[in-house]
Amino acid sequence: MYKNYDEIYAEYEAKKAKIEQMGGTKAVEAQKKAGKWTARERIAYFFDPGTFVEVGKWIKNRTTAFGMDQREVPAEGVVVGFGRVEGRLVAVAAEDYTTMAGTFGEYHGKKFAEMIDFAKLKGIPFVGMNDSGGARLQEGMDTLEAYAWLFRSQILASGIIPQIALLMGPCLGGQAYHPIMQDFIFQCRKTGFMGIAGPAFVKTQVGEEISLETLCGVEAHAVRSGQTAVVVEDDQDCLDKTKELLRFLPANNREKPPRIETKDDPERENPEMDTLIPPEPFIPYDMHEVITRIVDDGYFFEIFKDFAKNVIIGFARMEGRTVGIVASQPNWLAGAIDCDAADKVARFVRFCDLFNIPLLNFHDTPAYWIGSREEWKGILRHGAKMLYAYIDATVPKVTVIMRKSFAGAYLGMCCKDTGADIVFAWPVARITIVGAETAASVIFAREIREAANPKEVEEARIREYRELYENPYRAAERGYVDEVIRPRETRKYLNRALDVLENKQEVRPWRKYSNINL
Amino acid sequence: MAVEVRCPMPGKVVSVLIKEGDQVKENNKVFVIEAMKMQIDVVAPADGTVKEVRAKEGVAMDTGAVMAVLE
Repeated sequence: MYKNYDEIYAEYEAKKAKIEQMGGTKAVEAQKKAGKWTARERIAYFFDPGTFVEVGKWIKNRTTAFGMDQREVPAEGVVVGFGRVEGRLVAVAAEDYTTMAGTFGEYHGKKFAEMIDFAKLKGIPFVGMNDSGGARLQEGMDTLEAYAWLFRSQILASGIIPQIALLMGPCLGGQAYHPIMQDFIFQCRKTGFMGIAGPAFVKTQVGEEISLETLCGVEAHAVRSGQTAVVVEDDQDCLDKTKELLRFLPANNREKPPRIETKDDPERENPEMDTLIPPEPFIPYDMHEVITRIVDDGYFFEIFKDFAKNVIIGFARMEGRTVGIVASQPNWLAGAIDCDAADKVARFVRFCDLFNIPLLNFHDTPAYWIGSREEWKGILRHGAKMLYAYIDATVPKVTVIMRKSFAGAYLGMCCKDTGADIVFAWPVARITIVGAETAASVIFAREIREAANPKEVEEARIREYRELYENPYRAAERGYVDEVIRPRETRKYLNRALDVLENKQEVRPWRKYSNINL
Repeated sequence: MAVEVRCPMPGKVVSVLIKEGDQVKENNKVFVIEAMKMQIDVVAPADGTVKEVRAKEGVAMDTGAVMAVLE
């Protein structure tokens, strides 16, 4: 009456194989032709061999409308589970475009959401691999509510575990809120698309004709909208870079990031740095030249490199410790902070604070950007995000004032009293509220106007103001700069600062959260 | 084919280093603009002959404005 073991296992293998073949040979071929790997291939490459445990492979939707009860949807179009990446546990949900175009239905969403809840509870990072044709409309309201499950799960996990979104295929419609609400988006150059609506819907609703690439591709999000953190070439590059980022991150907010010893001497000096940047404050240079000379092995993992290029952000190591770097870029928009730059910095600072990553801030900035365009876009509201982020952050924060640090930008880039634990300045630094020309034109306006030789008087007053205030020493006399150091010594001093701040603890009185200008 | 030299940031043109008919090479410095206490070099995006110079010294220009046209 009962099946024997041969029959039991044969049945099991057949059922399993049916699910694991995903959408079938033809659909898998089409996926490859599109230059993409399948969900299962991505998982196989991402996790250490033999460590992946699938969760919910057998899940089936319960929809009967429109013939759905007759339809096979292996694994509900999303492969979910956990495994080890370079030895560390990571949870994943990988959408399977070969199965009903990876459409998002009720149980597809449930699998996604429950894996995020699982990752949150276990304190391991979550990686979502997006490749979906959108909402599974056959399921109606059940699909819509499942979006809410997903969003609720990821938002409640935000700040507890790192969440990384990989745009390896399309992710359009309401579903696109999923990647954007994770911590970082990686987007494949040729196959990754994200948008609140695709071209067809845009055309019928607002009459705009635009291609999917232009509307939702890498240029749209890595350059214009500032939503894609890292552009990657293809699936393999995407997964390699994701592993690279994960190396910098702790598994959850209760841990420190892993410390990976490097061979780079923490006390190493860079003699050439003493004359690396032009002493004339109006001559630009590339800040990357400075960053790579300071960090371990010159290795800097930059994010958002093509958006708001007037500031540079990214991860590096200092004596093996993960650090978050925020640096002005004098080469772009004079290193002044505009609305986009402020948004870019603020969210990064908060990410680092959430995950116990010390911040190193490099100042060479004249100001927040002024003028009608930025004013009306809300530079005050956007600029405020940086002030909130830095002052609220309790991780170690160390600042280096390299050259210019003026006015609001001095405060916004993290000075002594907007949160820096330790501030260093270079002898060429100019720390003051305003440039000498502007100051002289205000303070001595009348004297200059009424002078017999206005030009001479003006120049003398500018020189006087510059001598008095445009230097690092006034700030150091007040204790706003802890030490004036030679540029060559920067790495050494930063490492010593990070050492003493290793166990920094700062406890604030209870509040729900600050009312940051969102 | 005409190539436009566009203004990379809002600012005042402080130097015009080309005139109509000049030959320029890619990455040659063609203008200097100043804003926010910084002087930024504007370079030719390609080799070419200067067909038209629109930027004038002392005049403010916005991001994306055409400063010169090369041919």
